[in-house]
Parts: sequence; C-alpha cells; structure tokens
Amino acid sequence: MKKFVFALVAMMLAAAVWAEGDQIRSFELLSRTQAEDPTEFQAAQLVAQEWRKLGLDVEHKAIPWEQLAQVVWFDRDPPDWDMTMWRMVGRPERSDPDELIYNLFHSSTADAGYNFIAYSNPEYDAVVEAQRVETDPDARQALIIQAQEILDRDQPNAFLVHPQQAYAYRSDIWDPATVVEQSGIGIKNFWTFVDAAPLTDQRDMILNSGVVVQAINPLYISGATDSWITELIWDRLLRISPEGLAEPWAAESYNWVDDTTIDVTLRSGMTWHDGEPVTVEDVVFSFQAPQGDESPMYKPFVSGIADIAALDENTVRFTLSQPSAAFLTATLAKINLVPLHIWGPILDDLSTKDENAESYQEEIPIGSGPFKYVNWLRSQEVVLEANTEHFSAPEIDRWILRIIPNAEASLGMLRSGELNFLSGYLGDPQVLVQTSEGQPIDVVASTEVGFRYVAFNHRAAPFDDPAFRRALSLALNRNFFVQAAYKGFAVPSNSPVSTALGFWTAPGITDLETGIELAKGILAEAGYTLDGRGRLHYPDGVTEQHGN
Amino acid sequence: MTGISRFGRRFLQMVFVLWAVATILFFLFRLAPGSPLAAYIEPTFTQEQQESILRRFGLDRPVHVQYGIYLLNLLKGDLGDSFHLSGSVASIVRDVFPYTIALTLVSLIIAYIIGVLAGAFLAWRRGSVFEGITIPLVLTTRAAPEFWLGMILLAFFSFKLGWFPAGGALSPGAEFPNNFARFFSFDFLRHLFLPGLTLAIYLHGLPLLLMLSNMLEIMQDDFVTMAEMKGLSTWTILVRHAARNALLPVVTAFALGVGYSIGGNVVVETVFSWPGLGRVLVRAVASSDYPLAQGAFFVIAVVMIFMNFIADLLYSSLDPRVSSGDAKH
Repeated sequence: MKKFVFALVAMMLAAAVWAEGDQIRSFELLSRTQAEDPTEFQAAQLVAQEWRKLGLDVEHKAIPWEQLAQVVWFDRDPPDWDMTMWRMVGRPERSDPDELIYNLFHSSTADAGYNFIAYSNPEYDAVVEAQRVETDPDARQALIIQAQEILDRDQPNAFLVHPQQAYAYRSDIWDPATVVEQSGIGIKNFWTFVDAAPLTDQRDMILNSGVVVQAINPLYISGATDSWITELIWDRLLRISPEGLAEPWAAESYNWVDDTTIDVTLRSGMTWHDGEPVTVEDVVFSFQAPQGDESPMYKPFVSGIADIAALDENTVRFTLSQPSAAFLTATLAKINLVPLHIWGPILDDLSTKDENAESYQEEIPIGSGPFKYVNWLRSQEVVLEANTEHFSAPEIDRWILRIIPNAEASLGMLRSGELNFLSGYLGDPQVLVQTSEGQPIDVVASTEVGFRYVAFNHRAAPFDDPAFRRALSLALNRNFFVQAAYKGFAVPSNSPVSTALGFWTAPGITDLETGIELAKGILAEAGYTLDGRGRLHYPDGVTEQHGN
Repeated sequence: MTGISRFGRRFLQMVFVLWAVATILFFLFRLAPGSPLAAYIEPTFTQEQQESILRRFGLDRPVHVQYGIYLLNLLKGDLGDSFHLSGSVASIVRDVFPYTIALTLVSLIIAYIIGVLAGAFLAWRRGSVFEGITIPLVLTTRAAPEFWLGMILLAFFSFKLGWFPAGGALSPGAEFPNNFARFFSFDFLRHLFLPGLTLAIYLHGLPLLLMLSNMLEIMQDDFVTMAEMKGLSTWTILVRHAARNALLPVVTAFALGVGYSIGGNVVVETVFSWPGLGRVLVRAVASSDYPLAQGAFFVIAVVMIFMNFIADLLYSSLDPRVSSGDAKH
C-alpha cells in the first residue's frame, strides 16, 4: 500500500513537472453521417485514431449535413466547433486557382465568406491580392506558388486528398478518340457532349444522374447536375478548354487594351434557339443583368465590371474597376449569354416583386448553345437535341439525362445499354471497374479540382498555433488515406490547388514527410508536453480557454 | 337528424383534421435542427446573398406571421414555392402524382385481388398441405424488405433476362401526344411491371391474412350452417354468403392502404428510379425544403382523409347494418 501511495505521489509530482501548461481539452472531429458520405466518415475515423496517438482526446462525431453547415458555416459568432471534415468540390471555373486560393484563406472573408476557419495572415493576404491583379501568367504563377508555400508552412487545414472521380461509357457506341478528358473535371464535360462521335446508329447519348434536376435557369447557380444542362443550352463568350484555360467560344477573339480594359469581338451569324440573331445588345444585357439584385448568385462574378458598352455591332468593351487576372475564367467564361428579348421583360416584371430571377422557370428555355431544350420530366429525364445551326454543332442527335437514384441499377443499365454514358456514379469505384471487365465499357478516373480536408477553427487555442496545426497535419500519412478511405481513387493533397491544374500547382508540394514521431517532435519543439497519463498539455503559460 | 347536418358535421370534422395536420407540419419543420440554407452554401455566398434568400422565402419574418401567411395561402390552394426546386409545390406534386397513383393503384388492386381470392381459397382448404406451404411463404414475402425483393426481381428479370427495363417510368426520350397516350402506352406498362410486382408481392399479405381469418370466423356462423342445411353448393356459400361478409374489413384496409401507399413507396421508387411522391418527400425533408415537405405531406393527408371517407361509404353500401351512428337514435 505504501508503495502504491509513493508511486502515486511520484507520478503526480512528475506530471506536475512535465506538464507545464494546461491539459488540452477534448476535441470532437465533426463529419457528415455515414449514410451521407461513407468515405468521409471512414476518413474521419482514421484521422481521430491517428491524432489520439499524439496524446489528444479526439472523438469523431457524425451529424447530418444541415446541422453541420449550421454549426460550422453559419454560426460564426461565437463558433462552437474545433475541427471538422470538409470538402471543396470541383467546378470548371475553379480551374482558375483564384476562387479557392483567395476566398478560402483571405482574412476579409472570415466573418461571412468562405474563410470559415478564420485563417489570418497579412503576408498571405498581400500575395493573393497581388495575384488577383497580375495579368501576366508567369508572374502570376510565381505568386500562386508562393501562396501555396505559405499555406504549406502554416497548414491552416490538414489537406487530405484530391479525389478521383470515375466515369464510364460504352466504347462500342462512342468513339473513344472523341471522348474528351477535361483536366480536373473528367470525361463528363461539355467537350465530350459536343464532340462524342457515334459508332453505330445509336445517336442518342443517354446519361444518368443520381440527383434530380432542380432548375434550368441561366441566371441561377443551382445543383451540380443543373450546370451540365445550362452549359449546353447557353453559350458563353469564353469556354474553359480541356486543358483548363479560358478560350474564345461565342467570342471570336478578345484583346486587352490595357490592364483594366478588354475588347471582346462577338462571333457573327449566331442565332438564339427561337431564330432571333444574337447581338452585342444581348451580350451587354447578359453581363448587366446579374449586376442588379435579380441574380444574387452571379452577382459576385460581375462585380468587378465598372462599365460595359457596345463599341460597334460586333465588339463589346469591358472596363474593370481594377486589373483582374481571373476575369477571363471567372467572368467571361462564367456568365451565360441570355436573349434580351426574353429576359428583358421578365426582369422588368420581377423588379416589382419579392421573387428574383432565380426562382423563375422558363416554359421553354431559350439559349444559343450547341443543344436545344426539348423536354423535362421532373424526377425522370431532361431531353436536349443538337442545335445543327450552331458553329460547333454536336455529333449526337439527342442528349438525354436520366435521373437514376439507384447506383447498382445504373451499372446494370450501362451493361444493358439502357445507359451509354455513366455520368454519375456514387457507388464503390472498385465495383464499377469489376462490372466493366470483359465488357465494351471504358472506365476513366480523373483527379478532381476539388479536395477533401480537415478544417481547424483558428479562433481558439491550440488551433491558432501554426506549429500545433502542422504537427496534426504531418501526423497523417496521405497515401494511407488514399488507400484506406478512398480505395485508391484519390491522390494526396497538401494544397487547395489540385495537382490536376498542372500549371498552377507548386512543384513537390504534396511530397510531405509524415509520421507520428515527426509530429511528436514538432509538438515537443513548440513546447507542448505530455503528462504522466500520456495526455498533451499546452506550452508553459498557455491556459485552456474552453471548458471541457 | 337530417342527412345534411350529418354531412355538415363530417365536413367540419375533416376541415378541423386538415387544419391540425397543416399546423403540425408547419411547426414540425421549423423546430427541426439545421438551416434551410445548408443546401445552398456550396456556391460563393455572401451574407447579403443569404439574407436575400431568406427574404425571398419570407424566412426573415416572425414565425407567427409566416404561419398566418401559410394558412391564408393554403385556403387559396397555394402550397407555396419549393426552396430548391424551381416551380411551385403544387406543380411539383402534380408532376409526380400520376406516377404515384398508377403505381399505388395497380399494385394494390393486384395485391387485393390475389390476396382476397387466395385468402378465401385457403380458408376453404383449411388444414391442407397446400395451406401449410402457402402461409409461411406469404409471411416471408410480407417480412422481406422491399428493396431486397426489388433488387432480386431487377437482377433476374432485367439484368439477366433483359425482359424489362431497369428503371424509370418511360423509355429515354419517349414522346407522346398527350398524357392519356403516355399512361396507357405499352412502354409505360413495361416500366410499371417490376415496381408494381414488387409492391404487389409486398402488399398482398395483409388482404390475404385478413380474408383468411375473417372467412374462418364467418364459416362458423349460423347463417353459413343454415345455407349448408338448405343444400346450397359450397361455391355459392363461399362466394355469395361468406366472402361477401368477410370482405368488409378488407375494403377498409384497401382504402387506407391507398392513403398510406401514396407517400410510402419511397423504397420501391428509389430501387426502380420511379418518379413518385415518396422520393420527392424524402428529398424535401432531407434538404429542409419546408414548403415542399409540408405540401407533399398535406397532399398525402388529404388523400388519406378522403380515402377514409370512401371506406365509410363503401362500408354502408356493402353492409346496410352499418350506417351513421346518428341513425340509431
């Protein structure tokens, strides 16, 4: 008994000596529920397990997305979370790094915008502000890389992976040489839909989506699936090319007059699907419409335009309030061209009402794009047909998007030919690969522009300490996550700029040396100590701000 | 008591029930945790935009004001606009309603025809080997999860044999001159077959077991013995006398089954990618789309209350002894 008491006292003394700061509180690592996202759930379990090895008490807690969004995204004052699994999804316009590298980490967006983790670093702010107005691509590339290096040093998040999305198509129906892989997006993209050449008399492309189409509206950014449709019905002045760069589309050419002035020449001979000609007035209207209050989701993309005017019947001049490197991608390749003769009266009417253009649904949507609207049966399908008058007329006759909520059934349909392009598959990618073996089915997995990560709330210790964040991040072996959680369908990440965007990616940024011992070393160096029970304490003098 | 005041009372009762349902629905969704904006936050989103969306749907006003507007609109037959899907709640429900009704009625009618006939037959063959095999089989299909049954049928009839399409209500891009042609086309029936069969197999157990137990009970009754003594044939006794009386509870079950099945087919709808109300409803609840969820539940409540009413009517025509309680005074 005496021995025991002695040992106890010795341990307490030892604990008091070793552990100088307060014990670090217990953490909840939030994620969506297993049903909503099994991969994220699995990754969260593994992350919590790794961090417990550092002497932290981390519990994984899964809550439905609506509640997670409320806690993490909406309730910022005061925020009530420490760490959460989070994701940024890939979109064609995110192939310019500006949106993610600026909005996610610039201190100005911490209160209400994308920087929900409240990362704040004046040096970083200056670099991303500079890249925004740098119109020379090489100089801008240097700034983008510099920004990624600052993030690598500060580790505002623990970036985990850039997922790979697998799509598949019938190689006996579509000529594989005409199926285009767009960097960061995959083979399900605008270029494939326009270019795919049929090998047989099956000239209808039949695709699938697991989620319903919410709206078909050129002035509203709704569900992800909806954007596949709007891209096809409505033209844009520029398009993001398969390589990820903004290139002339409905514009024949563009010309930077100076840093803040750009002249765009409209392609001649274009018509709307109702037969009316596409004019420069339509173009001017298309960019002015979102500047009002009728299209709030598009408003940020035109807010940098100080003035827009038609110079002659083919040319439009944009004057920017300040130089903008992302203007081509984020504005000219983003805004849908809409007919003034249709939307003018609609917007006039809406301006007197509570509703805005986002809730308006045209009976028959009219654009000028390579596909025309035919029919939309809610919860069933959307049918488009080729616009043979278009300057880039599609090879296929009809584009038919089927809503198939049953992932296993969609695989069966691909094999039977009821579908000939698997454009949405949320099931296990390994099952897709197995199903396709010995079949005329090509499976193509592409690295996404988006990424999955663990976000830290920087508003409170210990997450305000870069060394602490760095230790946590380096405790995670990315390749292990790629295999264990993502079944090989992902690549390691250490940056918001996906490796899919070759030009903008900082070389070697994902070559992270990781390991539990390495992480422990970083913590020890920063003054964090372990007590006798193996629990991590703050450095000397730092006190716990939160109760447990 | 006159028939008119009886009808009036019934009507008031129905209005009261509908008001109660509407009120519960309204507060149920607003008390649920989570922001209705959550489904929106992926695109670039500022504080100003969030507020504009709240304004657009009237979510910035006090709850009692929202409630008042909601009830007023309901009176006008306006179920509001969906938060996430374009168009009014009424138009969304109207679009999927025919598919729901088609699936529900076809499978229920098949299930009840088979169930009633088989139930009567089994009562007649009480104690036979046939009954010994059939009853466990019926209990198994009734207990089997619908999605499992659906996937088995899908794997066999669609993926293996290729006889039926694997999902959807119509072939890709199929065009029809009007809705009548659409819903009575061979294409539609071909698509309806597997989901209808799955649901019918799942649903037939209830009428079968109900019919069986009623028949067994009634066949002990004096009037059946009386009929036997009169020398009537077994067939006549079974169909004309016993079955008619045994049918009463089955009719009630059928009418209520329609109401229940209208919004409750979500599993079969998902397995077969059927564009029905169940999927709309589940999605609306999951994404906090209050108006759509409220509207869909309300429509289901209306159907249920209406079917209850029909069940009452059928009851009194099938059995003259049953009429309103007032008549006995």
